[in-house]
Amino acid sequence: MVPTLSMTKAMPLGDMVFIIVAFLTLMVILKYVAYGPLTQALDARADKINNDLDSAQKANADATALVAEREKELTEGKNQASQVITAAKKSAKDQSEALLKTANDQALSLKKAAEADADQLKVEALSSAKKDVAELSVTIASKLMQKNLSADDQRSLIDAYLADLDQQ
Amino acid sequence: MDEPTSTFTFLGLTFNWTTIISTLVAMSIVVLVAVLMTRKVAVRPSRGQNAIEYVLDFVRGILGDQLPANLARQFGLYAFTLFMFLIVANEMGLLLQVKMGNGVTYVKSPTADPLFAFTLAIMSLMLAHGTGVKALGFGGYLKGMLFKPYIAMFPLNLVEQFTNFLTLALRLFGNIFAGELMLNLLASLAWGTHLNGFWIVLAFPLEIAWQGFSLLIGGIQAYVFVMLTAVFTAQLSGNE
Repeated sequence: MVPTLSMTKAMPLGDMVFIIVAFLTLMVILKYVAYGPLTQALDARADKINNDLDSAQKANADATALVAEREKELTEGKNQASQVITAAKKSAKDQSEALLKTANDQALSLKKAAEADADQLKVEALSSAKKDVAELSVTIASKLMQKNLSADDQRSLIDAYLADLDQQ
Repeated sequence: MDEPTSTFTFLGLTFNWTTIISTLVAMSIVVLVAVLMTRKVAVRPSRGQNAIEYVLDFVRGILGDQLPANLARQFGLYAFTLFMFLIVANEMGLLLQVKMGNGVTYVKSPTADPLFAFTLAIMSLMLAHGTGVKALGFGGYLKGMLFKPYIAMFPLNLVEQFTNFLTLALRLFGNIFAGELMLNLLASLAWGTHLNGFWIVLAFPLEIAWQGFSLLIGGIQAYVFVMLTAVFTAQLSGNE
C-alpha cells in the first residue's frame, strides 16, 4: 500500500458532480413517483375536509333555521286552533241563547193564548150557565104556576125535575 | 481515511467507485421504497401511503417551523428528497458494507465520505443563498448576511457563514463516519486471534447496541441536516 493520505491524492471532483447529478435525478424521480401524487392527495384531502366542514356548517345552519320556522308555524297553528275553538264556543253559546230566548217567547205566548182561551171558555160557560139557570127558573116558575101543589106533589115534582136534570 | 480507494478518470474528472456505487444503491433503495409505498395514491390512504405521508408531513413540519408558507412549499420537494436520501444513506452502512479483496470498501454509507457530506452541504447552502438573493435582492441579501445587526459585526458574520457550511457538512460526515468506524472496530474485535471465541461473545451484543445507537444517530442527522438547511434558508432570506 502506498503510504500517502487520501487528501494528497487527486481530489475526486468527479464525485461531486456525480453526487449532485444523482441527487437531482433522485429529486425528479421522487417528484413523479411520490412527491407529486402525495402532495395532490394531501391537498385533495385538505380540500375535502374543508368542504365537508363548510357543508356541515351550512347544513347545521339550515337545520336550525328550519326548526325555528317549524316552531313558528306550530305556534301559529296553535293560536289559530284556539281562536277557532273560541269562536266556535262563542257562536254555540250565542245560538243556544237565541234558541232559549225564542223557546221562552213561544212558551210565554202559548201560555198567554191558553190563558185567554181559558178566560173565554169561562166567560162563555158562565154566560151559558146563566142562560140555563134563567131558562130553568122560567120553566120552574111556569110549572109552579100551572099547579097548586101538595107537599108530596111538590117533593115528587122536585124529584122529577132533579131526575130530569140528572138525565140532562 | 488512509483506506485504499478505487478511482477512475473520465473527461478529466476523477471518480471514486465507492461513492458512485454507494450513492446508486442508496438512490435505488429510496426509489424502490417510494414506488412501493405510493403504488395506489388515494385520498383515503393505504398503509404504505400513510407511512410515506407521515414522512412528508414530518419534513413539511420541519420546513413550516422555519419558513413562511410559500417558501416551505417551494422547498418541499427538495427537503423531502434530502430527508429520504439521507436517512437511507445514513442507515445503509449499518446493514451493508462490501469490502473487496483489494481492501477497497465498495459499498458503505455514502454520507460517511466527507466529500459527499460537503457536496450536499454546498448544494443546500447554494439553495439557501440563492433564495436569499431572490427574496431580498443582492444588496439586501449581503446586508442581511454580513452587516447585521450592525456593520462592526462583519468579520464575525463572515466567519459564521463559513462555519455554517463546515458544521453542516462535518456534523453529518462526522456522526456517520464515526458510527461506521466503531462498527468496523467492533467487528474486527470479534475476530481477535487470542482467546478465540470469547471476543465474538463480547463483540456481538456491543455491535447490536452500537447499530441501534447508530440507527438513532442516522435518523437524527437526517433530521438535523434538513432542519439546518431550512434554518439557513430562513436566515438568509430574512425570515428569522
